[in-house]
Amino acid sequence: MSERTVLVIDDDIDLVEIIRVTLEREKLRVIDAQNGERGFALAREQQPDLILLDIMMGTVDEGFQVAYRLRSDPLTKDTPIIMLSAIGERTGFSFDKSKDADFLPVSEFIEKPISPRKLVDLVRRHLPTTN
Amino acid sequence: MRPDLTLTPEASLFVSATSLRRRLDWLNRLRWGVVVVLIAAVTVLGAATIIPLPVRPMLTAAGVLALMNLGYVVRNRLLPARSIRTEIRIVKLEMACDLILLTVVLNLTGGVENPFLYVYVLHVVIAALLFKGREIFSIAWLAIGLFTAEVVGEYLGWLPHNHLLGVSTMTHELSYILATLGSFWFVLLSGAFVSASIMRHNRAIKDELVARQGELVAADRAMIDFFRFVTHEIKSPVNTARSAIEAVMDLHADNLDPGARDLLDRAQRRLDQTTEIVKDLADLTRTGVLRHEPAVPVELTALAARVLDEQRELATATGQRLELRAPAGDVIVTTSGPAVAKILGNLVNNAIRYNREGGPVIVTVAPREAGARLEVTDEGIGIAPDEQSRVFDEFYRTAAAQRRSSLGTGLGLPIVHRLAHELGGTVSLASVPDQGTTVTVDLPDEPPAGPGGGGAA
Repeated sequence: MSERTVLVIDDDIDLVEIIRVTLEREKLRVIDAQNGERGFALAREQQPDLILLDIMMGTVDEGFQVAYRLRSDPLTKDTPIIMLSAIGERTGFSFDKSKDADFLPVSEFIEKPISPRKLVDLVRRHLPTTN
Repeated sequence: MRPDLTLTPEASLFVSATSLRRRLDWLNRLRWGVVVVLIAAVTVLGAATIIPLPVRPMLTAAGVLALMNLGYVVRNRLLPARSIRTEIRIVKLEMACDLILLTVVLNLTGGVENPFLYVYVLHVVIAALLFKGREIFSIAWLAIGLFTAEVVGEYLGWLPHNHLLGVSTMTHELSYILATLGSFWFVLLSGAFVSASIMRHNRAIKDELVARQGELVAADRAMIDFFRFVTHEIKSPVNTARSAIEAVMDLHADNLDPGARDLLDRAQRRLDQTTEIVKDLADLTRTGVLRHEPAVPVELTALAARVLDEQRELATATGQRLELRAPAGDVIVTTSGPAVAKILGNLVNNAIRYNREGGPVIVTVAPREAGARLEVTDEGIGIAPDEQSRVFDEFYRTAAAQRRSSLGTGLGLPIVHRLAHELGGTVSLASVPDQGTTVTVDLPDEPPAGPGGGGAA
């Protein structure tokens, strides 16, 4: 079984490193991009097994826009996407996967700060089983 | 929404053409009154043969005024308002027609003999209420021109004279005519000048207030934007640092010595505290709760039970008992559920953190006239009398609270106070040091009306 690849799209390089260290211990290959544009290009080029995508990068919803583009591209439309969000319900937004699934083309949300154990769990759950 | 405060220079009297129209309603009512008075004067005075008024021309004048006014009313009610400049022009035209009709009626009722000639002054005053300096004088000059033409016309025999008081020679007494015209010119022009000055002064004050309000609104917005930016900018690095510490503790759990783990724990706790402050600041700067969470019927007993469930873990850790006292039936008010949950959550959290060990935290939900009451009671450290008025100030923490715990943002009660105020409610506090505290929140059965649903914070 070849090495699985996770693409992390997040403009916070420190957070990317934390995720890299965490996932590499799980024998996953981690590639990263610091903006939506580069992330989208990398996703098409490398076709990772899973994408971790930050919501708020250059603009408040850049992550969502990238998610829609990934979903409408035949090369990446089936890749699972886990969104990283710092937006909790206290700021007036709350994301409920069951409620938002209809219009949000992503598999899961994970709230920052990220618990390594939770991250590994989620990534394992959403990685495609066949390879 | 906040009101639109932008004004064009010409329109600084009225925020909009619509508000001008509202003000014209009473002018229309006044005209209906004049129509009635004219008809009554002709019929009563004429029938009693006290003063022989020319019946048919007078009734015609009343009819013309009634038709004109009907036109104005229909236009006001049915046609959409045009630009403010057009509306003011139309009103000026209406007032000019009024003056012409007044002159005609005056001619029918004795001209210079008729003491009602000072009704012209009323028009100048109305003009002062509606227009600015130049327009007030243009109405005054129109009145002067019309009245002078009427009197001079009669004097020279170009216009017919209708006697008001039997046969009189007044209309042909040059000295009387000059004296009347002189006093008329003086009263109208000085009246226009004085009322224009008063109105100019009033409008300057109003403009100043409007400008100041605009500045306040802008400053308020800038502050909220600033806080949003700051809270976001603090939140992301703090989150990253917390994630990093968690990753180290998790991934290197086996080779961390207890000293290192303790230091990381401490760092984690301080970061948690920072996160709490940032969240509280975000809550505090979130104005207009009802704009974000529209008012809906909320059942308070179920809401209180949910809040207590959320806090149960914290309470159990310190051996405290959470108790909910509520009537059998539903207690329903129309309000923002998330805001009330936040209020109650903060109060219960405070009660638990500052309670005596093993003490009870009692939440009471009760209906009251036109609303509901929420009470949170503990048997904790209490608040000294001289500190009770300050606990609603941002960042204030009582001496006893600081001794109890170095954590705590000093924003919990200010948030409660602000949210309750926005929901149209009140917060009061009763506390005895070392015996406990009861915080009471009274909520109305409906949020206050007005922009944004609640008072600006």
